[in-house]
Amino acid sequence: MKKTTLLYMVLIAAFLAYAARHVYTNQVGEGSFRSEELRGELGENYVMVTFLSGIEYWKSCLKGFEDAAEALNVSIEYRGATQYDAREQITVLEQIIAKKPAGIAISAIDPDSLKGAIDKAVDAGIPVVLFDSGAPGSKAYSFLGTDNAAAGTAAAEQMAGLLGGQGQVAVITLPNQQNHDERTRGFQDAIAQRYPGMEVVAVEDDKGDAMVAKELTKSLLKRYPKLAGVFVTEAAGGKGAGEAAAELDRTGELHVIAFDTDKDTLDMIREGRISATIAQGTWNMGYWSLQYLFHLHHDLTIPSPTASGDVAPLPVNVNTGISVVTPQNVDDYYAK
Amino acid sequence: MRNERNFSDKRSNNGNRHRFWEKAKTFRLHDLRLRYQLMILFLLISLLPSIGLGYLVNWTVSRVLERQAVDHTLQLITKVNQTLDSDMENLQNMTYLIGFDDRVRQFMADGAASEQESYRLKQYLQRYTTLYPEIAGLLIAGADGQYISNELYARDSGRSLTQEDWYKQAVDSEGLFTVLGQPSGRNLTSHVSYQDNEVVTVARAVVNPDTEKTIGVVLIDLKLWTISKAARDVKLGRTGYLTVVDREGRRIYAPDEPYIDRLPSAWFADGATGAVTRQVDGRELQLIYGESSFTGWRTVGVFLTRESLFEVGQIHFYVICFLFVVCMLGLTASLRLSRSISEPIRLLQDDMRRTESGDLTVRHTAARQDEIGMLGRSFNRMLVELRRLIQLNERKERQKREAELRSLQDNIKPHFLYNTLDTIHWMARKKGADEVSDMVESLSKLFRIGLSKGSDMIHLADELEHIRSYILIQQTRYQGRLNVKIETDEEADEPLGDFFVLKLLLQPLVENAIYHGIKARRGPGSIVIKVASERNTLLLEVSDDGAGMEPERLAELARKLEHPLEAIERQASESEKSGRSYGMLNVQSRLRLAFGDAYGIRIASAAGEGTVVTVRHPLLREPPAFASENEKEEQA
Repeated sequence: MKKTTLLYMVLIAAFLAYAARHVYTNQVGEGSFRSEELRGELGENYVMVTFLSGIEYWKSCLKGFEDAAEALNVSIEYRGATQYDAREQITVLEQIIAKKPAGIAISAIDPDSLKGAIDKAVDAGIPVVLFDSGAPGSKAYSFLGTDNAAAGTAAAEQMAGLLGGQGQVAVITLPNQQNHDERTRGFQDAIAQRYPGMEVVAVEDDKGDAMVAKELTKSLLKRYPKLAGVFVTEAAGGKGAGEAAAELDRTGELHVIAFDTDKDTLDMIREGRISATIAQGTWNMGYWSLQYLFHLHHDLTIPSPTASGDVAPLPVNVNTGISVVTPQNVDDYYAK
Repeated sequence: MRNERNFSDKRSNNGNRHRFWEKAKTFRLHDLRLRYQLMILFLLISLLPSIGLGYLVNWTVSRVLERQAVDHTLQLITKVNQTLDSDMENLQNMTYLIGFDDRVRQFMADGAASEQESYRLKQYLQRYTTLYPEIAGLLIAGADGQYISNELYARDSGRSLTQEDWYKQAVDSEGLFTVLGQPSGRNLTSHVSYQDNEVVTVARAVVNPDTEKTIGVVLIDLKLWTISKAARDVKLGRTGYLTVVDREGRRIYAPDEPYIDRLPSAWFADGATGAVTRQVDGRELQLIYGESSFTGWRTVGVFLTRESLFEVGQIHFYVICFLFVVCMLGLTASLRLSRSISEPIRLLQDDMRRTESGDLTVRHTAARQDEIGMLGRSFNRMLVELRRLIQLNERKERQKREAELRSLQDNIKPHFLYNTLDTIHWMARKKGADEVSDMVESLSKLFRIGLSKGSDMIHLADELEHIRSYILIQQTRYQGRLNVKIETDEEADEPLGDFFVLKLLLQPLVENAIYHGIKARRGPGSIVIKVASERNTLLLEVSDDGAGMEPERLAELARKLEHPLEAIERQASESEKSGRSYGMLNVQSRLRLAFGDAYGIRIASAAGEGTVVTVRHPLLREPPAFASENEKEEQA
């Protein structure tokens, strides 16, 4: 009897040893997987929606979006209204909502007209964040972008520094677009409050086209011969204003402060045809938009404001920061 | 000398070994204990087929799985290649569309363009990037080194783009769409900071159909993630992955931590698709690949060979589990079965051993209905029968003995003389012949007591009367030569005469004393008969002062007395008439037959001095019922 018990014990022990070895080798194999990282599925599709989707400005945002996707191992898609058309953007957004993506980052062409479509997306359970151009009053969870009023103020400070606090200035902008309005207001408020020697003589609309801006600048210079500075709140117009000054031989007299850092703007700063430009944290907008969407999609955080308030919620407004590009530091902004 | 001894040692060794081998050779299964035979049999029956089955399943499944894994991977690779091809075809179409555009051709042919014109061209190119956000950069370059792009610009404006490798390669391809792979060291940079390893470059030269001269090149940087999206999605096994390499084995796409950095194209010489195994960094990698004819890229599935067999390992594990269970069940069943069959046989064997050693009361007790139970019951029946036969035999033997006893008594029972002698006694008295009368009376008494109505036991008093009569007759014969004294122990608790004795005990002894003692002596002799009791034994002693016996004769007689019946038979057959012993043997055999070996005759004698014969006889207050002897034995 003892012998048989021993035999059973030996058999069971051998089997347990084998099973343990099997489990162990499997775990070792498991360990080579980096499962501890914050990683999503390639099936998760996050969409970035813009307007004037071909313009260079978004490319940096998209790069940030792509880099975040690479880091989180998810898929992305870039869509947008090809033209400056609110209805087109609404249509695009509706199409995207129908495909039920994991999240939408949108730059709103016009807060009022897009509010409905954004709310519809949130109601469908799709996390939505806004970047660059916000839509106050919508249900979107967060806004990541430049504090435009602060950017306008920074431009005013720069302008005042260039002009010594004296002279007429004009603003070329895209009216009725919230970010541009805020930049304009920030600029105007700063001039009015801090620099009594300065005066904003005109606010013009260039429709985001360099050629229009060039013509506008020329006509402004005709109307206000003493015009000493132009602040262009959108990327394309700076170039036009600089070219207009050059064509009228007013380079050096007319100080142009542009917005954003496309290649031409940087070239013109280097050449001295544009005095300064405001660089936005566009890459950050794209990168952090996706991170926010990812966290929302995976319930790693909850939208703010929250009733319980016990989990650190996403901040509603994130300032992605600005910096002022001048001939002194322009080389840092070129691609390496 | 030494050799010889060695040799002889070897021989003896050989002898031992030979014996050993003989033993081993003669080993057969049925030399083992039945239990072990059964166990081996059951284990073989249960384990061999399941081990065979397990092996077969394992082998089949691993083969099927391996083939399926390769097929599946090839399918995936084909799909990835199709996706990549269609991406590339889109880019090709784009280069044609751009190449068809008049303004583009003009720009390429004419060299520098006006600001207005270049703005238009940029707007034109922007349409493509608007539609295809996967494009990281789009550039058109003229034969004179002038270029237009929204995204790309020359790092060093002093160096003409026509000196660039990509330009030359595109020109060399003479208008064919060329996949250049990841750029390196080119004089172009992206304003949006796409690094060289984040894009894949394609280019196509635009050729003037009239002059067949290259007028410029269209270059497109495709974002790498559009390619990696197709490949990254695919997980092979647990840690396998897909990677895409170009014609020269340079990496187009690979995951973050690849097993291998470079996949030389020499490894994939076998054809457009296939599977190879390579040893890299001490690990064995299995590479399954498919080549796209359009791009010339190879999509390669890379696994660790060890891990490609993961599923096989799982199945292996389950098979082993199954075998273990079967093994345990088989072992338990074989132990149980072999015990249940061999144990009752062992019990029966034990019973048989006890029977062998003489114990016939053994009974096999196991209550089973199978063959072994039947065997046990047969064994029991056999024992009962055996015992019955032995008892029958004993009874027969005893009956034979009694018959012999009777015939012995008949020998000394001449009862037909009795009445005649009585008549002679009275006739002699009438005629005044008193001596004759007394003698005849004694003779008559002698016979009467000797007959004693056929009973075997008589009172000791009668026996003594009988011997007195006998002595009277003998004294008459041996005038004055014979003195006889009978001494009875009068101090005994009971009068000894009332005890029963076997009749005719003393007469043969006295006869012997007279014929072989006194008669052989010179001059008169005396015989003393003593009767005494000692505990439960009656002692009758007949002593004479006759001739006595030589020691050899005494020894022979004592030997004969040990086996009285045989001695009598032998004497009868050999007609050995050494009269002295016959009477004693007769008495001895009667005593032994009646009372057993504890009783009988003892003789002491010395030549010339006389003989003392002592009879040990049980003290019997009433005659034993010999008739009920059989029943008594039954009870015992």
